[in-house]
Amino acid sequence: MENPIKSIVIVGGGTAGWITAGVIASTLKKSAGSNYSVTLVESPDIPNVGVGEGTWPTMRNTLNKMGIRETDFIEKCNVSFKQGAKFSQWVTGDKDDFYYHPLVLPQGFHNINLAAHWGEGGNNKSFSQAVCPQEEICELGLGPKKMVTAEYAAVANYAYHLDAGKFSEFLTNHCVEYLNVKHILDNVVSVNNKDGDISSVSTKHNGDVAGDLFIDCTGFKSLLLGEHFNVPFKSCKDQLFSDTAIAVQVPYQDDNSEIASHTISTAQSAGWIWDIGLFNRRGVGHVFSSQYISEEKAKQELVDYLKESCTNTDDLNFRTINFNPGHREKFWEKNCVAVGLSAGFLEPLEASALLLVEISAQMIAEQLPTHRRAMDIVAKRFNETFLYRWDRIIDFLKLHYMLNKRSDSQFWIDHRAPETVSDYLKEQLELWKYQVPSDHDFEHALEVFPAASYQYVLYGMGFKTNANPRGLSDTSYREAQNYFDKNEKQKQEFISTLMPNRELLKKIHRYGLQKV
Amino acid sequence: MANFKILDSNTHKNTRVKLGRGAEFGENIHTVPVIAEELHQLVLEYPICFIKDNNTGQFGLNALLGFEVGENLFLEGNKWNAQYVPLHIRRQPFMAGINGEDGDRPTEENTVITINMDNTRVQESEGELLFDADGKLTPYMETVNNLLATLVNGIIRTEAFVKALSDNDLIEPVQLKVSFASGEEKRFDGVYTIHEENFKNLSAEVLSAFHRSGYLQAIYMLKVSMGNIQKLVSMKNKTL
Repeated sequence: MENPIKSIVIVGGGTAGWITAGVIASTLKKSAGSNYSVTLVESPDIPNVGVGEGTWPTMRNTLNKMGIRETDFIEKCNVSFKQGAKFSQWVTGDKDDFYYHPLVLPQGFHNINLAAHWGEGGNNKSFSQAVCPQEEICELGLGPKKMVTAEYAAVANYAYHLDAGKFSEFLTNHCVEYLNVKHILDNVVSVNNKDGDISSVSTKHNGDVAGDLFIDCTGFKSLLLGEHFNVPFKSCKDQLFSDTAIAVQVPYQDDNSEIASHTISTAQSAGWIWDIGLFNRRGVGHVFSSQYISEEKAKQELVDYLKESCTNTDDLNFRTINFNPGHREKFWEKNCVAVGLSAGFLEPLEASALLLVEISAQMIAEQLPTHRRAMDIVAKRFNETFLYRWDRIIDFLKLHYMLNKRSDSQFWIDHRAPETVSDYLKEQLELWKYQVPSDHDFEHALEVFPAASYQYVLYGMGFKTNANPRGLSDTSYREAQNYFDKNEKQKQEFISTLMPNRELLKKIHRYGLQKV
Repeated sequence: MANFKILDSNTHKNTRVKLGRGAEFGENIHTVPVIAEELHQLVLEYPICFIKDNNTGQFGLNALLGFEVGENLFLEGNKWNAQYVPLHIRRQPFMAGINGEDGDRPTEENTVITINMDNTRVQESEGELLFDADGKLTPYMETVNNLLATLVNGIIRTEAFVKALSDNDLIEPVQLKVSFASGEEKRFDGVYTIHEENFKNLSAEVLSAFHRSGYLQAIYMLKVSMGNIQKLVSMKNKTL
C-alpha cells in the first residue's frame, strides 16, 4: 500500500472536470518533476449540464494561477462582470423590496465593525449603501474596472458571469495545450477494482485507463463515488425545498442594451428567478419547489418575468432540470474523490457550485498525497473540511429564505419554520441578536462565506441586532464616521471614473487588458 | 478643441503657422508620447516610461515633462530648456490622418496631412505660410511633411516594440516616490518601466532577436532614462 501517487485520472469533462484538471496540472507543473501525469476521460455523448454561469471572485485567482490571460477568457467565454447579487422581493414580496449582497467588504472591515455603528441609526441608507460603494455602481450599470486596470485587478471587487459550455471548451484547450493534460474522448464502460481501490476505468475504444487517484467529475451520475462505491446521498430538501429548475437563454433587445453587472435574483411564489447577463445573451431560470408549484405554473411565472424585457417569449427554448438538493455523505472514498455535481448540488443561489469545484480542486492539488498510505489521512481531512463547508453553505442559503416576512405563499411561510433550520444556524442567529456578526464567530480557515456576507444578508433582510449595552466609545464613533464619509467620497469617485459595463466589455474585446 | 481639416493648397493658401514654444500653444503638458527612434536623443534629457492610454488601456511610450497635469518643467516662458524637443511637440498643429476605415493601417497612398484649425498657432497674419504662390509646399511645410512621415512609421514600429516587451512580460509598474525641497513627498501611480528581473532572465533566443531588431539597445536606453527623474526633481525644486 506504499504505492506512489503519480497518475491522476479525472473522469468527466464539463466545468468541474476541466477546472479540476487545470488547478491540479498547473500546481504540479510548478512544483513537481516530470514523474506524473494528469489524464481526463470525457464522454463525447453526454452533454454538459451547463447552468453554472455565475462565479465568485475566487475565480480570478483560479484562472490566473492556471496561466490564463483574463482577456482571452473574457473574449472566448462570453464573459461579463458580476459585482454581487441583487435580491428582489425576498423580504416582503413588494415590488420595491430589494437588497444587495455586494462583493466589496464594508469599509475598514479589518479595523472596525461598521455594522454596530450602522445599527445605531443616524442615516437612512441601507446597510450595503452605507458601508460600501458597490450597490450604487451596480444600480448605475457601471463596470468594476477601467481599461487601465490590469488583468484580474479590480477597482471594485468582482466575479464573472460566463457561458458554461464555452468555458469548458476554453479550459480544455488551455489544459491540453499548456498544462500537458492528456485528453481521452471516450465512454467509460466499466470501473475496475484492485484491493478495494479503483485500478482503472475501461473505455470503449481506448482500452483501460489506469490511475493512482481517480477524480469523479461525472455530474449527477456520480459514476465512481455514487455508483461504484455506493457512498450514500444526504438530501437537504428539509432545509432547502427547491428541486426543479427551468432554464432559458434570452437574447438582448439590441447590441446596446445594458448588461447588468450583478446577478438579479427575484423571488417568486415558490422559488426565485436568476437573471445573469453575459456579453452576448442573458441566462435566466426559475428554480422552485415542485411540492409547492406545478411545473406549468412555474413556467408561467418565468414567462411573465421575461415579458418585461423580451418581446417574443414563444421562440425561447426552455429546459427543465430536476435535482435533489444535497450531497454525498463522503466525498473522498479510497482512491477516489468527487468534485462538482457528483459530490452534490444545491440551488444556484450565491453561485456555490463553481466555488465548491474551485476549493475542492485547490485542496486536492495542495494536499495531493504522495503515497497511497498518506491518502487515507488526506481523504479523512478532506471529508471533514467539505462536510463542514457544505453545511455552512446550506445554512447561508437557508438564511436568505428563513428571514423572509412574506405571508402570500406557503413556500415562504414554511421556510420560516424552526424545524427547517439547522441547529448551528439557529445558534448563530441567537448570537447575532445580541452582537453583530464578526469573523470571530467562524472557524476562519474553513469558512466559505465571510462574516461580511452574513451582515449583508441579515441587515439587507431587516434583521435586528440589539445595541451594545456597554455603549460605543467616542473614538470608535469618530472612526466609523470617517469610514462612512470615505464611502460617500469613494462612491462619487467611482461613479465619475467607471464606464457602463457593456462599454467596458466592448473595449476589452477590441483592445484587450494589460497583464500588469 | 481639435478641428482637423485635410490640408489643401486652395483652402489653406493664406493659412500661416506661428512658430516657437510656449504654454499658449498648449505645450504645458506633463507627459508627451514619443517614438522609439527618438530614444537616443531623449535619453539625455527626459525620463521615458510606459503609460497606459485611459481610453484603450494600451501602453504607449512617453517622456515625462513634469509631476502634475499642466506642469512642463522644461518650459520657461517661450524657451524649451532642452537640446531636443520631441517630434510630437514639433509636429503641431499638423497630424497625419488616414483616409479610410477605422482601424486601417497607414500606407503611402491613404495617408494625408491634416491641420488642426483650432490650434492657437493657426491664423492668417503671422508665421510661416504652408503653400507658395504656385500652390506648392513651402520649405517649412516640406520639413513638417518629413517629420510627419517619420512619426507615422515610428508609431507603428514603437507599437511593435511595446507589444514585444509586453508579450515577454518586460513591463512592470513602478511606484515613483519623489521628495521636493519644500519637504513635500509625492507618489505617482500609472508609470511603468522595464521589468529588471524578467529582463535578466530572458532566453538567449529572445535576447538575440531583440539585439537584431534594435530592441535591446532601446531597453537599455529606457532603463538609463529613468535616472532623469532626479533631474526633473531638481528642475521642480528651482520653481519652489
